[in-house]
Amino acid sequence: MRFLLLNHIQNAHQSLHSNRLRSGLTILGVTIGVASITTILALSAGANKVVGDQIDALGGNIAVIRPGATTTDTVSNLTQTSPHHDFAASTLTEADLALISSIPHVKASAPLMILSGTIKADSVAPVDTPIVATTSDLALISNLKIQNGQFIDTTVNQDTVVIGPQLSVNIFGTDQAIGKRLTIRGTPFTVIGVLARTNHPINYNAVNFDDAVMISLASGKQLNKTVPQIQQINIQSDSVTNLDQAIIDLNKALITAHKGEHDFTILTGSQIAQPTSQVFYTIAGLTAAVGGISLLVGGIGIMNIMLVSVTERTREIGIRKALGANNADITMQFLIESLALGLGGGIAGYAIGCLLAFTISTFLTFDPVLNWETFFIALALSAFMGTVFGLYPAIRASRKDPIESLRHYS
Amino acid sequence: MAKPIATPVIELHDLKKRFGIGDAEHFALDGVDLVIQKGEFIAIMGPSGCGKTTLLNIIGLLDGSTEGDYHLDGQSVATLSARRQARIRSRQIGFIFQSFNLIDRLNVIENVALPLTYKGIRRTKRLKLASDMLRNFHLNEREYYMPYQLSGGQTQRVAIARALVNQPSIILADEPTGNLDSRSSHVIMEELSDLHKRGNTIIMVTHNPNLVSYASRVITMLDGHVDTDTHGLIEKPLSPPTDHVFNSPVPRIIKIKERSSRRMRKLKKLHATHETRHK
Repeated sequence: MRFLLLNHIQNAHQSLHSNRLRSGLTILGVTIGVASITTILALSAGANKVVGDQIDALGGNIAVIRPGATTTDTVSNLTQTSPHHDFAASTLTEADLALISSIPHVKASAPLMILSGTIKADSVAPVDTPIVATTSDLALISNLKIQNGQFIDTTVNQDTVVIGPQLSVNIFGTDQAIGKRLTIRGTPFTVIGVLARTNHPINYNAVNFDDAVMISLASGKQLNKTVPQIQQINIQSDSVTNLDQAIIDLNKALITAHKGEHDFTILTGSQIAQPTSQVFYTIAGLTAAVGGISLLVGGIGIMNIMLVSVTERTREIGIRKALGANNADITMQFLIESLALGLGGGIAGYAIGCLLAFTISTFLTFDPVLNWETFFIALALSAFMGTVFGLYPAIRASRKDPIESLRHYS
Repeated sequence: MAKPIATPVIELHDLKKRFGIGDAEHFALDGVDLVIQKGEFIAIMGPSGCGKTTLLNIIGLLDGSTEGDYHLDGQSVATLSARRQARIRSRQIGFIFQSFNLIDRLNVIENVALPLTYKGIRRTKRLKLASDMLRNFHLNEREYYMPYQLSGGQTQRVAIARALVNQPSIILADEPTGNLDSRSSHVIMEELSDLHKRGNTIIMVTHNPNLVSYASRVITMLDGHVDTDTHGLIEKPLSPPTDHVFNSPVPRIIKIKERSSRRMRKLKKLHATHETRHK
């Protein structure tokens, strides 16, 4: 059997090289598409890794209960711009919290009631500073360390508060804030503890603890006109093996308590690790759309250029056929050329995508993750584009009548 | 000199080629019967549009006939697949065109090596064979020239080198001297005549009656069929050509052998002047 692959590659190189500008522009089309896909893959892998690492560090015995029956698959997360209905009333109640504590194997459970409001001290904290009303178990489950003072628990007074180190610096000018006073929605509170820096702004609690204010659940209720609004309940089982059993029991108990309505979601492991930031979803969705569109446009560019190339080289096709090339040889010649365009764009796109991901990550709080998976996706995608959009021109080239082609003057 | 043997290389029987349908129907070939033996040098003549090139294309397997039989080496080509036909073009047939048809992007040696590609020969060997072939045509100093840097005669010699590099048994030349001046034409014709002497079958279409003296057999075509054929008439003077275009009588082919030594001297001289002219 004849082995012409090497020859086709040399030929493609020669042909693309002789039309450098044209080839370069065609490759650029694919490059933009692959670059944006690479960027989003690297950044989303980075975001996943941040949360995943935390879950791993906490041990595999954590589960999260959220109100509402949300879907957890990636596709719907990417297509829904707003996965969490912040405006909906929570279906989780204080009664549920008591119920959860009574389930066997549940070692700790912490509610998260996230409020917003003006926080004032020496200076006013940013508007989006989260106010988290919770219990002492949160420190245990989410592994929050105290730098100074203590975490809130049942023994401390109601008007006490634990703050994140960054917030402390922002509003007091120091992280030594024990005993200082601040007001939340006009109600005065005393700082009894400052958290150690976590440096995990993206986590499964969707709260940046470096920047947050933590108060007791009772204080939270008071601030919210005695209505508890629990957005999330974190659960820790007594061991990894018992987590599954605990979740089954939890499900049963909660469905009974909610009169048969399945209006809550229990997430474990990697489900929790899915990025929770809404902004991230929006950016990811947009970039994916731009990437997809530019890939498509790039592919059309390949097809366009290949069709021009086939027309330009009609005579050459005729000559080659007269000299003994069969249809398959001609098809392969042009297919390898378009494949080279696609792969060239893929490799350049991957490189630029990596640079872009690192550049963007300087404005973000996590590092992009580059793995072989991303590289192969970029490569496979570009090879696919090159083949699919090159196939029609290549077949058209091979179907050309040799006599007509030889008569063709270019 | 041609040495006819028993099995004909090419056998055409009642070959027809139709172009167009209905009112526009036109038979470019209208019942061609032709038997070509191995080692013949055939010149096909005739007015424009009489089907010479169509016949050559069908013989070269670039085109198919509408009706009739074509047996190549005793095998009917109608039964061959496109792939098999490409294989025959690659191994058995060498084409020489009027407009040379070199690939502009490739340099001389790559152009000559091109047919070897489709035979599956590796690059190093290809270039070596091409280089050897170019030496035969005194073009080894032009190996890395691009086609546009050559004169017409040189270009056609490159094209002939390309046609021969696969060592085909049949060489098809479609007005090989049509784009050349008379001096270059004679150089090319000497080359072809030399090939013929080495035992190749050559079929050449030409308009130039001065060149048919190189051929061992002259066929004139008219309106899609063979009009006159010198086959078997070699010893006798030919009947005058049918068309007034052929104002000179067809030369006596019998004299080729006597003239060949004189011709070799002339060829060398022509090569020398040709080279100096393009330096």
